[in-house]
Amino acid sequence: MTNTLLKLSRATREVNSGSKAVKLLEHIDLTVTEGEFISLMGPSGSGKSTLLNCIGMLDSFTGGGYTFLGEPVHRMKEKNRSKLYKEYIGFVFQAYHLIDELTVFENIETPLLYKNVKSSERKALVADMLDRFNIVGKKDLFPIQLSGGQQQLVGIARALISKPKLILADEPTGNLNSKQSEEIMELFSQLNKEGVTIIQATHSENNASYGSRIVNLLDGKIVTE
Amino acid sequence: MILNYIKIAFRTLLKNKGYSFLNIFGLAIGITCASLIFLWVEDELNFNEDFARQDEIYIVPTNQNYEGEWRTFYSSPGPLAQDMKNDIPGVLKATRSSQETRLFAVGDNSINRTGRYADADFLDIFSLKFIEGRRKNAFTNPEAIVLTQETAEQLFGIGEKALGKVVRVSNRDNYLVTGVVENLPKNVSFPFDWVAPFERYRDGAEWMTQYGNNFSDTFVELTPEADFETVDKQLRGLIKTKEERTDDYAFLHTIKDWHLRSKFENGKKVGGRITYVRLFTVIAFIILLIACINFMNLSTARSEKRANEVGVRKAMGSGRGRLITQFISEALILSFIATILSVILLAVLLPQFNLIIDKSLELGLSNPMHVFGLFGIALACGLLAGLYPAFYLSSFKPVEVLKGLKVTEGSATLIRKGLVVGQFTISIVFIIVTILVYQQIQHVKNRELGYDKDQLLSMRVNRDIIDKFDVIQQDLISSGSVYNIALCNSQLLSGGNNGSGFQWKGGTDTEDVLISFRNISEGFFDTTGMEIIEGRGFSRNIDADSTYTLVSESLAKMMSNENESAIGKTISRDEDVLEVIGVVKDYLYGDMFGSSDPVLFFNYHNYARYMYIKTKDGVPIAEALSTIETVLKKHNPAYPFEYTFVDESFDAKFKNEQLVGELSQIFAILAILISCLGLFGLAAYTAEQRRKEIGVRKVLGASVSGIVKLLSKDFLKLVVISIVIAIPIAWYFMRDWLQDYAYRIEINWKVFAAAGIIAVLIAMLTVSFQAIKAAIANPADSLKTE
Repeated sequence: MTNTLLKLSRATREVNSGSKAVKLLEHIDLTVTEGEFISLMGPSGSGKSTLLNCIGMLDSFTGGGYTFLGEPVHRMKEKNRSKLYKEYIGFVFQAYHLIDELTVFENIETPLLYKNVKSSERKALVADMLDRFNIVGKKDLFPIQLSGGQQQLVGIARALISKPKLILADEPTGNLNSKQSEEIMELFSQLNKEGVTIIQATHSENNASYGSRIVNLLDGKIVTE
Repeated sequence: MILNYIKIAFRTLLKNKGYSFLNIFGLAIGITCASLIFLWVEDELNFNEDFARQDEIYIVPTNQNYEGEWRTFYSSPGPLAQDMKNDIPGVLKATRSSQETRLFAVGDNSINRTGRYADADFLDIFSLKFIEGRRKNAFTNPEAIVLTQETAEQLFGIGEKALGKVVRVSNRDNYLVTGVVENLPKNVSFPFDWVAPFERYRDGAEWMTQYGNNFSDTFVELTPEADFETVDKQLRGLIKTKEERTDDYAFLHTIKDWHLRSKFENGKKVGGRITYVRLFTVIAFIILLIACINFMNLSTARSEKRANEVGVRKAMGSGRGRLITQFISEALILSFIATILSVILLAVLLPQFNLIIDKSLELGLSNPMHVFGLFGIALACGLLAGLYPAFYLSSFKPVEVLKGLKVTEGSATLIRKGLVVGQFTISIVFIIVTILVYQQIQHVKNRELGYDKDQLLSMRVNRDIIDKFDVIQQDLISSGSVYNIALCNSQLLSGGNNGSGFQWKGGTDTEDVLISFRNISEGFFDTTGMEIIEGRGFSRNIDADSTYTLVSESLAKMMSNENESAIGKTISRDEDVLEVIGVVKDYLYGDMFGSSDPVLFFNYHNYARYMYIKTKDGVPIAEALSTIETVLKKHNPAYPFEYTFVDESFDAKFKNEQLVGELSQIFAILAILISCLGLFGLAAYTAEQRRKEIGVRKVLGASVSGIVKLLSKDFLKLVVISIVIAIPIAWYFMRDWLQDYAYRIEINWKVFAAAGIIAVLIAMLTVSFQAIKAAIANPADSLKTE
């Protein structure tokens, strides 16, 4: 039984560069069902990151329709939209983007703070996550004390802590060596098997092969699927 | 959540130690400085506050017309108090009073103490709290005296009862202690150590009961129902109904205004010290503002460092409101740390500050008002400093900052520059003010005084010393330490007795010139170094000189036509006719910044109150003092050897101006210090931001000096703009300030130039450190990072 998670219809993203309107994304039609593992591929500047950001609601489409779990995101107010993505979406970044001033534990805990989860519950959830990723021993370290692979592990743990339906990963292995990359991709496919929908942007054919479906972008348009 | 904010705030602080130091230290200095000013302002505002019935107590000054100008004096006619009580409904209590210093002796223990002769109502008006004796019957005995606790303890010893004991006063009279009252608070306008019945002071003198002589400080208390306007109106007409021949009139001046609003111009209240209180309050806020500006500037300048965190937090689901709360919490934590630091600084600096302003302010942390005040300052600073950066930082879009795009600074840069200009403008204004106030004080101090204030001692005298004056003079001069001594009825530097109604023939015929009187002994001019420019001085024969007078130069000019000598002319009032035998060069007394009234000198020292002693050139002052003490003790063993140096009293005349000068100096230094802390931080961040640019330029062949110039140029521009803005502001304020002084400096453009150069130098010194550091860095390091 598969449900539609999100649906884009003729979604467009325009920016004004000087007096000219530049289309970063044009007429994107995409339907993602729960449990998929999609790899967005394409050369630099093809619009992969923009598409991820728009789906993740950090950015918004300027035209077309976007429905998430049946709700029309393009007609939503900022507040509701933020509620929606806090609830269902987790991010993983190429540059990890951990907060330097926070320990591993606190970094993973942050999304829960913004969801107003009680302290005792937070502790339990974070402890589970640390356990699952085998980084209990590192919980009091600061990001700077970790290797790149470990930092990305924390980044993924942080994305997972709020039990999202969808994980958006923008070049998650871009800063890692091949061995670390492999571990992270293994983790993703493991998560996918557990039911988390994943959309990743990647340059690497190898990484894309972990996914269930590949979407090729060029100049803001979907070329092949 | 809050805990999380606090945790992050502390980690951020610790991680950026330099930045935190600049921020906290700058803010702490600002808070310390503002707190010192607020303590001073509090003290000023609380003057006389401890007296009950603030709305009902008044002093009664008189306006007197001289040469077409109303002049206001606290002195009023003797019978006025009683007549106000009799004639004006609503006047509940009224007292005459006169401030005197008397020598008190109990056994071998003798001290000079200043107090008041007054009527019994005085004790009620000021609600004196009796520790011993009772207020009701304190003055029933005509020989009574009421002492403050401190005076009683000094005379009789601590813990000893004083009530019913006898004090010998001026080595002549016995006073019976009928009461001991609590010490007065320090901040009262008319302090006194004792109070005694006025009739004993009057001692039968008829003139004190008549109108036409103004000498008494009259205090009144109205009934609670009395209407100020009605009473004041009746009072203004009262003297005329008693004394047809005078235009003098009295009026009510409320206790609430005694300290801060007692400046009168042409008979009208025109403010007073309140001007300084307001000015300093504004300055306190300005200094706080400068410190807060630092915080804002440093926060937005390092926004790039925080931008990533903002992006991540937003991506993790944080709304803007939460981020604003987080950044403001950080600012608040910082400002509370700064406040705690400033409490320590205050504790250390307060004694020093008290010395400068001649007060005894206390930090008083047990006073909830003070704690509340500090808390308020911390809160206000945190919010003020934190708001703008919080809104600015929280506005970053996560997509942009996470992609590592440069934060578009736009408005922030402009605002930052504006704030730096603001800081430096204020600093430069302070520098200019400091220089001008200093110049003005020096200008007046270097004025031709008409006497020689060096090596000149002044001391109070009593009957015995006056009686033995000739022997004392002989002994002192023959001791070899003293050049000459003289007696006078008033202090050399102060206004003293005066009067009007003199007539003369020739020159400008006028009656309403206010003339000061000086009853002196023969050697007065010689002792003080005053110059007789025409005619002769007095002889030792007082009786022979009784119809003779010496006049000051300005009076001589009024009395005579051009090229005509005043010698031999007569000056008269009522039936007294005096012949001028000499003209004394004008000398400066009273208002050191104005011009002094003309003076009449009489050869009469029976009621002298001061003795002036000029020590001989070349004799060490300590040696001279011990000689003088020995001689005086020989002739008058009971009299305490208490003296003041005239040059010190002279300096004390500039207390207000000195205070303004010293405070503006402190403010200038602090404002600059705080501004430079900020500038230092800004320069560091600019250098960091432009690291890559500097690297590229160096690779392309730029020299170190070229890069230092490049980095310093922008800051220099800001300082120059500040100078341009500061000069007119400072000029406007200082011109206004100088208007108050008849004898004043001209504002010279060189002062502005000097202030500008100082500002530029200090700013360059601050910036160049960072600029040089950036310029000599190895370009390879800065280029490989990207």
